[in-house]
Amino acid sequence: MSKKRTGVFVCHCGTNIAATVDVAKVAKEMAGEDTVAFTKEYVYMCSEPGQESVVQAIKDNKLDSVVVTCCSPNLHEKTFRDNATRAGINNFTCEIANIREQCSWVHNDKAKGTEKAIKISRSVVRRVNRNQPLDAIAVNVTRRAMVIGGGVAGIQAALDIANAGVEVVLVEKQATIGGRMLQLSETFPTLDCSQCVLSPKMVEVKRHPKIKLMTYSEVQELTGSVGNFQVKALKKPTFVDPDKCKLCDECTAVCPVVVPNEYELNLTARRAIYIPYAQAIPASFTLDESVCLGLNPIVCGKCKDVCEADAINYDMRPETVTEDVGAIVVATGFDLYGQENMGELGGGKIEDVLDGLQFERLCSASGATKGHILRPSDHTEPKNVVFIQCVGSRDPAKHCAYCSKICCMYTAKHAQLYKHHVPDGRAYVFYIDIRSGGKGYEEFVQRTMEDNDTLYLRGRVSRLYRHNGKVRVLGTDTLSGQNVEIDADMVVLALAMVPSKGTTEIAKVLKIGRDKDGFLAEAHPKLKPVESVTAGIYLAGAAQAPKDIPETVAQAGAAAAKVIALLSQATLSRPPLIARVRRSHCTGCGMCVDACPFIAIRLENGKAVVNEALCEGCGSCSATCLRAAIDVKNVTQLQIYEMIEACLAV
Amino acid sequence: MFFNDLKQTRGKIYISNDWCKGCGFCVQFCPKGVLDTSPEYNAKGYHPPYVKNPDACHDCMFCQMICPEFSIYVIKEEATNKGETNK
Repeated sequence: MSKKRTGVFVCHCGTNIAATVDVAKVAKEMAGEDTVAFTKEYVYMCSEPGQESVVQAIKDNKLDSVVVTCCSPNLHEKTFRDNATRAGINNFTCEIANIREQCSWVHNDKAKGTEKAIKISRSVVRRVNRNQPLDAIAVNVTRRAMVIGGGVAGIQAALDIANAGVEVVLVEKQATIGGRMLQLSETFPTLDCSQCVLSPKMVEVKRHPKIKLMTYSEVQELTGSVGNFQVKALKKPTFVDPDKCKLCDECTAVCPVVVPNEYELNLTARRAIYIPYAQAIPASFTLDESVCLGLNPIVCGKCKDVCEADAINYDMRPETVTEDVGAIVVATGFDLYGQENMGELGGGKIEDVLDGLQFERLCSASGATKGHILRPSDHTEPKNVVFIQCVGSRDPAKHCAYCSKICCMYTAKHAQLYKHHVPDGRAYVFYIDIRSGGKGYEEFVQRTMEDNDTLYLRGRVSRLYRHNGKVRVLGTDTLSGQNVEIDADMVVLALAMVPSKGTTEIAKVLKIGRDKDGFLAEAHPKLKPVESVTAGIYLAGAAQAPKDIPETVAQAGAAAAKVIALLSQATLSRPPLIARVRRSHCTGCGMCVDACPFIAIRLENGKAVVNEALCEGCGSCSATCLRAAIDVKNVTQLQIYEMIEACLAV
Repeated sequence: MFFNDLKQTRGKIYISNDWCKGCGFCVQFCPKGVLDTSPEYNAKGYHPPYVKNPDACHDCMFCQMICPEFSIYVIKEEATNKGETNK
């Protein structure tokens, strides 16, 4: 092997790197390496002049490999590999040494930081010595998409993708699409009816020729990679044929089972056979297997007996469906932080203390009380209602550290709705401060305070307890410096938004990252807010972070645009950094076959063979092999060994 | 109290211990797991069932139907607006 001619380009990243690392010294040290023919340092290597200088230096100095010591390869590996291509050398001979995230940002001591940066850079210089020129692998794209979650985010994303002519599979866990937004009564800041806005979109989803709707279904397994995913979904049996069901409601009249209705946040009860809402899509009843007396016509076949349409079939079984898709949008939404976590506020045990979603159902014309605001305990109209903001939010010591973003606005809306329903009632709001950034939002809050005569008290509530049939609220008003004691008929808690249970589950199934609060992690907080860390999987809605409806719809549209852009390509190129077997060394022990998480290795005539279409280059096989017979291209065991040597300065 | 005033139909279970011959059908087939086998012996020397979980009974009367010895029966405890019609 003739000696390499490597160019090392050291970036200052403004002061991001240069403040903690002596970049000149790094460049000087690298120049001393045997294979390094050229070094350069520059303040912003990723800027246009910086990139041009890389291209020029490659051409001028006849470089055959490049090391850029800068930020994470997640950010600029592609940038500099493209420059290598422009300069006429193979792009896989260009590697990044990360001296920002892995060095300057995490250290203070400049001397030690510089020493570490030199070690990192040297190890990558040694690595490129053995890099092979490789060509990207072209793979075909499956022109279909999957949207997981049928709330407003999922609905919007599915419609946008389908309207571009791409077939979409929309998977929803519940019996109906609509999600949280369908549970809301009116929406801020315009007070337009949530269901009126959403249900036309739901009908459009149902009727769209390009959308395949799978309700009452759960994603169980994901294989493949960007452009060619295989998703296994479980379609749970509803025991009712939606094509035959006439929605006559005779079955619920005879069903002997009564359980709390989760769609009404347990404010009402439902039968074992039920329809979540009148507007449900698909418009059909569902028989809840978990509470039914056993789907046994001898024990109880009352619903089947009365069904004239013969829509009920106790013999339906769960069905596993595998869908081939090229891209996935995850829109699995939020739950509210549990009241049981708020011990000082009753811990969910005081009947007239509700959460925000329950109050929405009380206000909703289609809700538990047909739009009359009534107390759950005695079904009377509450004459004074206390709303408490930031319950569970902004409390890093005990609960969620983050701001749930929408509570200021929906509490203002609740107060207005309450005053519209009960004009002689009194509304109090306890707040820490009002965050009303958004178009028309501040004006809306002002209207709540002034036109709707709501008393805003700045302070926290320390305790809630039952007192003479009312709920006693002990709080403080920090503006007047007084303790406040209110005997409220009803208390509404603006509980923090947390990632839904489904979000937690789907993150495990799809193996996508979550942030410290459990929300789905975006690939980059500024520049890739709708991409997950896994290529081909996109995020939309409150599963990613707390957000209101307009933001959710905007993000869903953005995710759809990304999906359409991805799927409009004829082929995708995959990095060729995949496993390669050294047949002379392979003894056919099969350990790599068992270690491969992608089922990409099989034994053929006593030797391991890699399926290049399936291999993801994770290196599990290489780590398992006792004879170094299987290696990942350009990350071979020899390269890793030499990198370790460089770091240990042997 | 639910806003739509639905109440679960409940049944009260009566067992004629001495008629039972301990086949265990009622315990095995109760869809709500209301019954269990008693450690006591009856006059015939069998273990009759006992009501372990009275609040879970939905008044489906399957135990009454399946008992070969007519030794168990259910009487509806609480009428509801709908859903109480027995087969």
